[in-house]
Amino acid sequence: MTDKTHDPVAMWQQMMGEMEKGFNSFANQAMSSPEFSQAMNRAGGVAAGAQKQLGEVMEKYLVAMNLPSREQVTGLAERLQSIEAQVHEIKSMLSQMAAGSGTSQGFDTTPRPPRTKRPPSEGGERT
Amino acid sequence: MNAPTGLDFVSIPERIQSEVQRAIMRGIKGVEYFSTSGPTLGSTPKDVLHSRGTMSLYHYRPMSDEIYRVPILIVMATTNRGYILDLVPGQSFIEFLLRRGYDVYMLDWTAPRPEEKSLRMEDYVLDFIPDCVRRVQADSGEQDVSVIGYCFGGVLSLLYGSIHKDGPMKNLICFTTPIDFREMKLFSNFSDRRYFDVDRLVDSVGNVPPEMILSSFEMLRPASRTVSQIQLWENIWNDEFVKSYRMFDRWATDTLPLAGEYFRAITKDLMWDNKLFNDTMSVGGRAAKLENIKVPILHAVAEHDHIVPYDAAKHLIAKIGSEDKEEVMLKGGHVSLVAGANAVKRLWPKLDSWLGKRST
Repeated sequence: MTDKTHDPVAMWQQMMGEMEKGFNSFANQAMSSPEFSQAMNRAGGVAAGAQKQLGEVMEKYLVAMNLPSREQVTGLAERLQSIEAQVHEIKSMLSQMAAGSGTSQGFDTTPRPPRTKRPPSEGGERT
Repeated sequence: MNAPTGLDFVSIPERIQSEVQRAIMRGIKGVEYFSTSGPTLGSTPKDVLHSRGTMSLYHYRPMSDEIYRVPILIVMATTNRGYILDLVPGQSFIEFLLRRGYDVYMLDWTAPRPEEKSLRMEDYVLDFIPDCVRRVQADSGEQDVSVIGYCFGGVLSLLYGSIHKDGPMKNLICFTTPIDFREMKLFSNFSDRRYFDVDRLVDSVGNVPPEMILSSFEMLRPASRTVSQIQLWENIWNDEFVKSYRMFDRWATDTLPLAGEYFRAITKDLMWDNKLFNDTMSVGGRAAKLENIKVPILHAVAEHDHIVPYDAAKHLIAKIGSEDKEEVMLKGGHVSLVAGANAVKRLWPKLDSWLGKRST
């Protein structure tokens, strides 16, 4: 058996673990400062602003190309979502009707087990 | 025989042979890694009971001949997918619950669409959760429902329970749920109100992009991604390691965007004003005080949680109004607590023994 303290592979793995911990700890300390928050949010704010401007330019470009704008696609998505919701409502109603007539419960047509289970200490062995 | 340096020269040829074999296997398995897609996740049989925009309600098919009377509704965190609780057979919290005789439903989230940027905290707490609870009641035929909330799903469940104090929630289980947001030190610094203009961000981008959410999680341990990739290469010959790596990596990077208005409320009410901890939180004009929750509650926290440090979660049990309340701290991290290989020996049996006797 090789001694772990002299096993190069084990030593490498230990070193990686220590490096990870050390770097994470160092970075966490650095990221806890108000200066970091200021710099990070300044960069994030610039990126968000640029993204908004790019979106506006793209929208104008799409209109010029006679392509549907984001607003129009979103409108279609909203209508689709409303149709989806109605389909699910109908499915749910059908399911409830089926359950009421005793043919099934939910969408799964297999009968559900009885709700009679007791915890092991009360009812003996687990099922 | 050991030399004075401590090296075991006898074992060196054997060790070299083993390393050469591993190097060859790394080459073969490395090609395999890039040409395959990894294990199928979330495959426990289920039915989609209801779906509306970002919200989906699943019902998992029972795996036991007899089930407990009270069904469970799991409320997933809004930043991540619910399949973390249903990874693969043998390492699935959902499968464990089903085999132990629970009737399991899950409120899971999909990415909010651009038009859903206006979803507010009210929509989650006063509409989505109550809607799912009603559907669970209708589907199961039972009035009582136990709720399990994971991470921010726990926060939503607490808000729901504190507002709907007359039921029908019978038991509440929170996993790694923060209430003191000042103690989430790095998140708190990232969103420092002096420098973080949340209004500008939300007004610019609508829904907060998943890349931003993922980056903020990864910044908590900036070296870990690189180190985990090195570890993957070292262990790529080991099928079990690779399977586990792929499951967790896929889930961790499958982060969801957050609805803009909802993110704005989280930032202002929780990160800035710490309203849940200060008992000043309200949702849709309705007070959400933790002392209003009187049902039995179990809070499971992880010893090495770097996302929700213990200081951010430790006051929950003290602030809850229930008489039947318990906190349990277990070994593990934020994710491994609920889904790691050891969860089957630690959290899951603990939950089963606590919840079983409260589910009849």
